[in-house]
Amino acid sequence: MSAEDAPGVTRDVALEVLAFLVTAARTQTEEAAEYGPMRLLMAARLLAQGMSPHAGDEPALSALVDEVASLEPVRTPTRDREQYLAALDALCERVADALLAHEGRS
Amino acid sequence: MSDNPVYDAIRSRRVTRRMSDTPVDPAQLDLVLASARWAPNAGNRRLQPVVPVTDPVTLRLLKRVSPGMVPSPQAALVICLDTVRAEEFGFQPGHRGLYVDIGTTAATLLLAAHSVGLGACPVTSFSRAAAARVLGLGAGLSPEMVVCLGHPADVQPSTLSALSP
Repeated sequence: MSAEDAPGVTRDVALEVLAFLVTAARTQTEEAAEYGPMRLLMAARLLAQGMSPHAGDEPALSALVDEVASLEPVRTPTRDREQYLAALDALCERVADALLAHEGRS
Repeated sequence: MSDNPVYDAIRSRRVTRRMSDTPVDPAQLDLVLASARWAPNAGNRRLQPVVPVTDPVTLRLLKRVSPGMVPSPQAALVICLDTVRAEEFGFQPGHRGLYVDIGTTAATLLLAAHSVGLGACPVTSFSRAAAARVLGLGAGLSPEMVVCLGHPADVQPSTLSALSP
C-alpha cells in the first residue's frame, strides 16, 4: 500500500469526529455563538490527535498536526478578540503551508 | 478560610475540566447522588430524577455525543426531566420553572462532590436525543444536564479565554 493510499485515521477516530460534528451541529443551535469557533477547533483537535500517528514525514504537516492536537479545547473569541483572531489567522497560514507542501509547491 | 465552612466550600469549589484515571469511590458517588434529594425543588414535586453512570463504555459514548464535555469522567450524574409527570402536574412543555430545578439540583450535586474531594464539571452541551439513546432512558425522561465526576488532574486546562499557542 502506498503512502497515498494509507489510512489517515482509524475508523474509531473517524467515528469520534463524525459524532462530535453531528451532535455539535445540534447543540450549537442553542448555544452562544462564541462557541462556534471553539467547537470547530475541538473537532479539528480530535482529528489531529487521530492523525498524529499517521502524519507521515512531511515536516509542515507533522508540525501542523502536532500544533492542532495540542490546542486547548476551551477557548472562545469573546475575550481578547484581536489576539484570538491573530492566532487563528496564523494557524490558518500554517494550514495553507501544509497544503502547499503536501502538493509539492512549498 | 473563615469560620463558616459552608461559605468556604462555596468559594473554593471549581469546575474540573481535566480528570485523572483514578476511579470514583462508590460510597462517594452514592453520597453525592443522595444529596440531590435535598436540593431545593418547587413544590417538592421532584420531577428531575438523577441517573448515575459508571459503566466505562457508556461514559465514553456519552462523551462522544457531548461536544461540551471536556473532561473524561470516571462517573457522571445525568439530571433528567420527567416530562410525563411534569405534564400530569399541568406543566406546559418548556416551562422555565422545571429548568430552574435542574439548576438547583446541579448546584447541590456540585457542592456535594466538592465536599468529598471530587472534581465535578457540569455539561449542558450534548445531544439530548443521542444521550437518551446512549443511556437507554425510558420514554418521557429527557436528559438535561450532565455532572461529570472524577478526581482533578494535577494540571487543569485554561478557562475560557483567547486562543493562544
